[in-house]
Amino acid sequence: MEAGNPLLDEFVLDLTGKERPRICFLPQASGDADHYLVRFYRAFDAERCIPSHVSLFRRLRAPRDPRSHLLDQDVIYVGGGSITSLIGVWRAHGIDRILRRAWERGIVMCGLSAGSLCWFEEGVSTFHGAPERVEGLGLLPWSNTVHYSSEPERREAYHQWLLDGMRPGYAADDGAAVHFVGADVAQVVASRGDARAYRVEAVGGRVVTTQLATRYLGDPKVRPIVPPAAVARTA
Amino acid sequence: MPSPGPPRRDRSASQRDRLVFALGGHDFSRRRGNEALSDYILALADTDEPRICLLPTASGDPREQIFAFRRSLADRTCHSSHISLFRLETEPVTAREHLLSQDIVYVGGGSMLNLLAVWRAHGIDEVLREAWERGVVLCGQSAGALCWFERGITRSAGRARAVAGLGLLPGVLCVHYHRDHARRHALLDASANGDAPGFGVDDGAGLLFRGRELADVVSGEGVGGAWRVDRGPRGVEETPLGVRALDDPRPAIDAPTAEIAELRRIRALRP
Repeated sequence: MEAGNPLLDEFVLDLTGKERPRICFLPQASGDADHYLVRFYRAFDAERCIPSHVSLFRRLRAPRDPRSHLLDQDVIYVGGGSITSLIGVWRAHGIDRILRRAWERGIVMCGLSAGSLCWFEEGVSTFHGAPERVEGLGLLPWSNTVHYSSEPERREAYHQWLLDGMRPGYAADDGAAVHFVGADVAQVVASRGDARAYRVEAVGGRVVTTQLATRYLGDPKVRPIVPPAAVARTA
Repeated sequence: MPSPGPPRRDRSASQRDRLVFALGGHDFSRRRGNEALSDYILALADTDEPRICLLPTASGDPREQIFAFRRSLADRTCHSSHISLFRLETEPVTAREHLLSQDIVYVGGGSMLNLLAVWRAHGIDEVLREAWERGVVLCGQSAGALCWFERGITRSAGRARAVAGLGLLPGVLCVHYHRDHARRHALLDASANGDAPGFGVDDGAGLLFRGRELADVVSGEGVGGAWRVDRGPRGVEETPLGVRALDDPRPAIDAPTAEIAELRRIRALRP
């Protein structure tokens, strides 16, 4: 959903291997903000996919049964905002359990910012000011942080927490995306030439940051290679 | 948002200085009765220039609600602010420090379930209890009224049903009482099952509690009523509460502006 840059959106739709995949947007991290819904429906055109969303603030207008709607998708896309508010709202409606089920079934789970942090055991958020150590759903047994190169304060806090015992993890710049199959990294892709992702861990009292080989999606010859069924099998 | 001062209230307030004002329905538009209620809310504070903070959490911190609140209070003698738990603020504040430095906290409507879940995730539930105990006036409408009671009748998961609130006040509250029959029936059912005391409040009306006791029942210019709902020997009984009508010297704006009326006429002519 980057403005004017559909490369990552195209990539995630292609991961499904379907001609016209069903993609459902969960905008709870932003409080189901209307302007965010508009951005989603602009980015995911109905010609290319079957877009929908689930609102948990306006349940009367939402699909009656979010469980069957979510489990019927090919992609679930989680928007950015506050990770703490996001996880709080999901738990109140039982969405956390439904998402785990969806992932186990091989539905492609994706998202940006808070929508990235939420899949990991733990991570670093700066949404409410100073960096905070936050918990996600724990589908991926790693830590995570986003906006890595652009926010030095977040990076420093992440490094300190890694030294204090936070589990190893993955950090990504704006425009970079890490594709996991099961708990393992399958590939790193980017919608911008200079965006990178990193493996970050504490080794012997020092933080080691390893830049991961990143494929720029701007090359039209490159297509994703992992069929979605493999996700379910390795999960 | 103005930077928060040091907490003004650092000690426990007596029971009669712990105020909650629960509204069955209210907003910050110029609809009839709203202005009188806003005046009443500001007068609940024990200071002439109260600090009032909006928590729009229950509807996901929408900009429109924040703008309407700030605009409506702009020409009154008060200091208004809001705390967003979903949006980035240019000047992040410590929610606890800011809330405890207020005279009034106003909670907007929306989803009661989400409101409580998000508050708990951020620890705001504990802060609000502390604020109440220190004498910060707590008020709100719809979900922002239900949240103070032991239980509230909500539709935030679809069907109207009773959901646990923060429990500062006893019993079960139902808002939009005569506008939404499903809610009213859910309250009558809850009362039939022994949930007590029950309160039903219409849009425009509000209940003021001092400590855990009902102290005043008002409505903006007489719009809306309020009822006590209890299980009696002959089944569930709805007893009207004496409602004091609040006056508003300002002219109400019920009718749409000329431009909006024209737009509606043009739309209606379209095939």
